[in-house]
Amino acid sequence: MNNDNILSDLVPIRSIHYKPRLWLLHFPFLTRTLFGFLLFLVLGTFPCEGKLVIDVENPNLAKMPISIQDFVADAASPLNGSDLAAILKNDLYLTGLFQIVEVHAPVTPNSTSEPDFEVWSRQGIQALILGNFHVRGDELVLEARLYDVPLRKLELGKRFTGQIGDHRRMIHRFGDLVMERLTSVPGGFSTRIAFVGDSQSREVYSMDFDGYGLKQMTRNGTINLSPEWSPDGRSIIFTSYMNKKPDLWLMDLTTQRLFPLSTRTGINASGRYSPDGSLIGLSMSFEGIPKIYMISTQGQIIKRLTAGRGNDISPTWSPDGSTIAYVSDQAGSPQIYTVPVSGGQPRRLTFQSNYNTDPDWSPLGDLLAFSARIDGRFQVCTIRTDGTDFRVLTDKGSNQDPAWSPDGRMMAFSSNRDGKTLIYIMDAKGQIQVPVSSLTGKGPAWSRTSQ
Amino acid sequence: MLSRYLMHGMIVLLATLALVSGCSRKIVRPNQVPQGPVAPFGAGQISEQELQGVQAELRIVYFDYDKYSLSPEAQTALQYNAELLKRVPNVNVVSEGHCDERGTSEYNLALGERRARSVVDYLVGLGIVPNRMTTVSYGSECPVDPAHNEAAWAKNRRVFLRVSR
Repeated sequence: MNNDNILSDLVPIRSIHYKPRLWLLHFPFLTRTLFGFLLFLVLGTFPCEGKLVIDVENPNLAKMPISIQDFVADAASPLNGSDLAAILKNDLYLTGLFQIVEVHAPVTPNSTSEPDFEVWSRQGIQALILGNFHVRGDELVLEARLYDVPLRKLELGKRFTGQIGDHRRMIHRFGDLVMERLTSVPGGFSTRIAFVGDSQSREVYSMDFDGYGLKQMTRNGTINLSPEWSPDGRSIIFTSYMNKKPDLWLMDLTTQRLFPLSTRTGINASGRYSPDGSLIGLSMSFEGIPKIYMISTQGQIIKRLTAGRGNDISPTWSPDGSTIAYVSDQAGSPQIYTVPVSGGQPRRLTFQSNYNTDPDWSPLGDLLAFSARIDGRFQVCTIRTDGTDFRVLTDKGSNQDPAWSPDGRMMAFSSNRDGKTLIYIMDAKGQIQVPVSSLTGKGPAWSRTSQ
Repeated sequence: MLSRYLMHGMIVLLATLALVSGCSRKIVRPNQVPQGPVAPFGAGQISEQELQGVQAELRIVYFDYDKYSLSPEAQTALQYNAELLKRVPNVNVVSEGHCDERGTSEYNLALGERRARSVVDYLVGLGIVPNRMTTVSYGSECPVDPAHNEAAWAKNRRVFLRVSR
């Protein structure tokens, strides 16, 4: 878990020198203006697509055709270039924003030559990714480049150095940068998903967002529920029966040490960090009925947020920290409500089903994901925070516990559609849905930080 | 402060290693319904055997889907349980609330707590001293019947009263 040390090895050290237009690279604005001007000269009109951009707000968005060539090794290597490319293809595919075009280049690209843009352009490719790497001992140096094919331009070039075992991280990190360049929001490919094993073992596990690198986080032999990452990624909080009752615990991920955060009578459940990490919202029943409270990160009660006869559980914070959405059955069945953190009247948000639970507020702020019971089974749905635009994203089996990725582009959830309950991920519109956990699991939580 | 937490954590961890999970799976036998009252117990400490006798006699209370209100059958069972508990005033009771698998873990945790509390409140109304009783919700984490059908769900929506000396 000593991420910081490894991280420093993985930070892209500099942009790759690209000889033909080296001076232009240092002036991206100039580059863009110049190319635009050149295009203007050629076409005699202003270019409509001045830059390689994915406008994710566009409802009629067409997927961007992208080609990712097998990475090229400079010598025989224990790593396989097509495996490396496959990691990146999977990352970008899962966002639902790309059409991965399998084109085999007539010329093997290498680190020094410029791609033959004509070839890619003829195939309708808009974005091209080329990569090369070399292994020396345990050390891996990997370079990857994103090209804007219509503008015949290097858009992004990064070099990573690290251990061979870091290769997945390097590729994920490059994917994050590609997303940042194309959508202006960094990708979430370097993040991890924590979840609870859903078998005899109810231990907390974590894995890379794509299912690799599975680790068991708790070993207490009892029931553990609702893991949640601290915003700084240094700890997780979860509800555990280590004291034979549902208490809220914190695990320091550096030392693996456990600290009890709330052990009050009754339930201490569904703990969720505020976006700035200074507070924890949770449900406690020490006053009788499960209600939503805010506690400090040391466990002291700051205030109670809800009142009344309903069971109140599963708080989730708006990204600006001003509002909490939660589940209450005060109207007879579980529904999702919002309440200002500063205090005030709760407002009911969901009316579409008579059983709506497990809200998770998108980090982009606009949507809440939740599970709704529809025709006797649970489906992951989204709704705008003003209560409009209700959408059902799943339809096979029962699908629950949605958890947004930090970039708000994807969600993790649990589904039993193929028999076993596994952790799945999907893009924000539900177009692509794939299982990622190798274990049965539930209650996924997506880390806020990159590793 | 930190070292105190640390100590607590260590103690809890060690204690946990020595104990199995709190699931009542192994002890609960939902089909076993005792008919008549059992032999009277003394007012003092009772033996482990006597305690097990009380445990076996206590009736499990069942609930409707997504409900924590007590049905007439549940009330009858609790009246029986109250009479039993009055004979053993030194026995403590944990009211363990459970739900069926439908719904989410977190909501079921709240629901299980309300079921456990409904039972405690009703027993208090029948004259059982409140400080003999505590609640623990297991939500949907400890089904007695792991099947995915109505019969299993009905058995799993329950409050189990666990006695200790």
